[in-house]
Amino acid sequence: MAYIAFFIKRFFQAILVMLVISLIGFSIQGNLGDPLQEMVGMSVSEAERDNLREEMGLNDPFLVQYGRFMSKAVQGDLGNSYFYKRPAVDVIMDKFPATFDLVVGATLIILIVSIPMGCYCAIRPKSIPTKLIMSLSIVGISVPVFLTAIFAIYVFSVTLGWLPSFGRGEDLVAIFGGWRTGFFSLDGLAHLILPCFSLASIMLPLFIRLIRSEMMEVLEQDYIKFAWAKGLAPKRVWFLHAFKNTLLPVITVGGVQIGIMLAYTILTETVFQWPGMGFMFIEAVNRVDTPLIIAYIMMVGLIFVVTNTIVDLIYTFVNPMVRLVGGGS
Amino acid sequence: MKRLKKFLASDFFYQFKSDKMAIVSFTIIFTFVTLAVLAPLISPYNPHDPSQIDLMDSEIPPVWDHNADEEPDARFWLGTDQQGRDMFSAILYGLRISLIIGIFAVAVQMVIGIAIGLISGYVGGRVDAFFMRLADIQLSLSTMMIAIIGLAIFQATFGAELYEEMAVFMLVLVIGIAEWPQYARTVRASVLAERNKEYVDAARVIGLSSPIIMVRHILPNTLSPLLVISTVQVANAIISEAALSFLGLGMPVTMPSLGSLISSGFEYIFSGSWWITTIPAFVLILLILMINLLGDWLRDVLNPKLYKG
Amino acid sequence: MALIEVKNLCVEFPTRHATLKALRGVNFSIEKGERLGIVGESGAGKSLSAFAMLNLLSKPGRIAEGEILFEGQDLSKLNDDEMRSIRGNRISMIFQDPMMTLNPVLTIGTQMVETLQAHRKISKAAARLIAIDRLNEVRIPSAEERLESYPHELSGGMRQRVVIAIALLTEPVLIIADEPTTALDVTIQAEIMSLMLDLCKTHNVGLILITHDLAVVSQVTQKVIVMYAGRVVEQGATRAVIENPRHPYTRGLMAALPQQNTPGKRLFQIPGSMPTLDAMPDGCAFNPRCEHVGDDCRNKMPKLDSFEGHLVRCHKAEELQIKGEKS
Repeated sequence: MAYIAFFIKRFFQAILVMLVISLIGFSIQGNLGDPLQEMVGMSVSEAERDNLREEMGLNDPFLVQYGRFMSKAVQGDLGNSYFYKRPAVDVIMDKFPATFDLVVGATLIILIVSIPMGCYCAIRPKSIPTKLIMSLSIVGISVPVFLTAIFAIYVFSVTLGWLPSFGRGEDLVAIFGGWRTGFFSLDGLAHLILPCFSLASIMLPLFIRLIRSEMMEVLEQDYIKFAWAKGLAPKRVWFLHAFKNTLLPVITVGGVQIGIMLAYTILTETVFQWPGMGFMFIEAVNRVDTPLIIAYIMMVGLIFVVTNTIVDLIYTFVNPMVRLVGGGS
Repeated sequence: MKRLKKFLASDFFYQFKSDKMAIVSFTIIFTFVTLAVLAPLISPYNPHDPSQIDLMDSEIPPVWDHNADEEPDARFWLGTDQQGRDMFSAILYGLRISLIIGIFAVAVQMVIGIAIGLISGYVGGRVDAFFMRLADIQLSLSTMMIAIIGLAIFQATFGAELYEEMAVFMLVLVIGIAEWPQYARTVRASVLAERNKEYVDAARVIGLSSPIIMVRHILPNTLSPLLVISTVQVANAIISEAALSFLGLGMPVTMPSLGSLISSGFEYIFSGSWWITTIPAFVLILLILMINLLGDWLRDVLNPKLYKG
Repeated sequence: MALIEVKNLCVEFPTRHATLKALRGVNFSIEKGERLGIVGESGAGKSLSAFAMLNLLSKPGRIAEGEILFEGQDLSKLNDDEMRSIRGNRISMIFQDPMMTLNPVLTIGTQMVETLQAHRKISKAAARLIAIDRLNEVRIPSAEERLESYPHELSGGMRQRVVIAIALLTEPVLIIADEPTTALDVTIQAEIMSLMLDLCKTHNVGLILITHDLAVVSQVTQKVIVMYAGRVVEQGATRAVIENPRHPYTRGLMAALPQQNTPGKRLFQIPGSMPTLDAMPDGCAFNPRCEHVGDDCRNKMPKLDSFEGHLVRCHKAEELQIKGEKS
């Protein structure tokens, strides 16, 4: 029952956020170049332009125009991209699967690598592998993601020729509707490796260090000493008693990293010419393709709200002290 | 002179002397800064001056990278880029720009962040809640996102030429505004801790006004953590600027920072001219690495509990 | 044969600057079902003795010398696997603060069942039944529902009862309780202490009670050890030590008890504080604070003298006794 209340509250918050973003987006739109210019070119006379303006409602008061914008937006119409001459929403949805692939791949890499490594470094803080990992992590933090990407391309693509250096490949598998993914074909995977690894590379050192330091703190706690005193097997103490407590702050911090991840997809996609939303955004900026720019900003806002809600939800599942459904005593 | 002597005899300096990593990183950073400051004096060419660039000189490799039968071109130590600019000069100037933006952006962050942190922590209540909420939102959006969107909007609104002229200013401003929450939070935490101490009560009893108490009494006690995060923030600002320039949203190609150099040279690694991207990249990485190492050392020395990991 | 016999236990902490000797030459033995109290200030080494017995010293601490003879084995020489079969099984431990002792993200049931399953081949259902039994024994209402609760949903007193229940799950022969009531409300302390006493008597379980509270010791234990700066300064039957304390430190502790003082008058306090491990004075460690200090005390560490089984480490013990000084 309490979950419903949670969702309703979140839903309204989301609506509020989206309203704010759309307002910002809409106000910007007004200043970003003249839509008329894009549509009709130079050869149309001034008088005709004024007429068109009137017809298109471009002279109406701000709120009216905003209202119009919002009503269309809610129906999924954010105008047409100047460059693609198609609805902006369509363009974005076209590009979304590519970015999704990238993010999923990077997240998998992060989880699979950082959790074991972080735990190991916490359990054996003075061992050689730990020292190595910690030193590498400083280097990892110091190298911006696009440099990792460039370096990876240089080594694995240009020099060794093992992996492709741009694009998603031709072998994409359609899962449903128009959604095509690269995970289910060898060629698709080959194209995914370098970009996902590059995207993961900035977050890996962060998570390894985070997990390590949280777990080290947890291992000092009395309840861990008590677990040892009860004679429990080390694996149980480390990976149930300690790990579950380590998860909590990691989830919280991890949630915040999503924004960073989104921003870095833009960088990664640019280097690899990955046909995702990020690359599309940069191209849109260069071409001053306003509807697309706005659409991207709003999409980012939406993703943000959704992922934050999901992270909060996961947190309440893991942490018994903040259960939504009250515990009994 | 006496202050210098006191400093040299202090615990802090002793720890510095005895840690090789600290000395190495500080020396390298100091060298870079000196090079950057002296760039106009020591660089053989001015990479921003179109009249000094000859397209015929483009894509010349560095002096050590040449076929056995060819004579290396001694004019350009590190080779030239695709436009014929001397890499060495371009890198010196690029370093200069990167450092300027990094340091000034952090200055902006500090001013905004400290002001908000002080007020938020000292006044508390609604003001505090508002600012912290704002900080939360900004932090979760991430600097990159805010910077990218901000600059994208600016560039699209005002056009490329105006943008080029104002690039440095815009970058400093945007990176500065994007990252104030870091400073604000740190200062606020310190203020909350100090606020309840007796010397604050004493100051109030004497009749000092709030702003004076905040600045003259509380602020000095919060300096230690600020120093520690400043090094990381400078490194981050430099990285941010490099990334933004790489995307084309930062320094223009005519007045390149290290990031724009890397960006413009990227496609040439496929055709063999590796040095256009790689050498600036190496310089950038080295600079950031050294700043991070120094920052790590500072953190260990000043306050081991501060930054986790 | 004694249940457990500790001989000449020495614990040290090797650090970069010096090796700190935290525990020196502790000796005691406990018979089956007997209750021993270990008394002293914080830092005196009482908890260390307990942790050392179970080989749970935090690094870099280590047992430098001595033997811990239990059921025919020397615990100090066992490796981790062998120790694990003893910890929580034959010897259980109860810590000070139950909020910190129980893992906040696991249910009570999980934490109880896992203890049983770690040491016995037993199904989860059977383990749960035993757990419910114990919870009933420590007088926790609605035991079955409690298994699904999380620690933060229980009050402090209830939590400590749960910890006691966990300690009894595997039917150990010895329980080590480190300040079990210190973190609880004063009103609950007596309840919990009397519960522990009852259970120990019923199950005939030996108890090592570590505390700074002499009053509790006098009610619960049969033997007592008084520790100061890592050494035993007085040892013997509880009655004897409480009624006739021979060491100036013990006397000071007795005098400091609120019950010993006249209402309205200043509470007695032993002047000064216990020295830290790296700043030990020469001779008797207590000499800077002792009102009977003499030259010998400043130069020579006194040995443990025996007065009919009542051990005292003091140069002046006999002297003071003859003078008839009482608390």
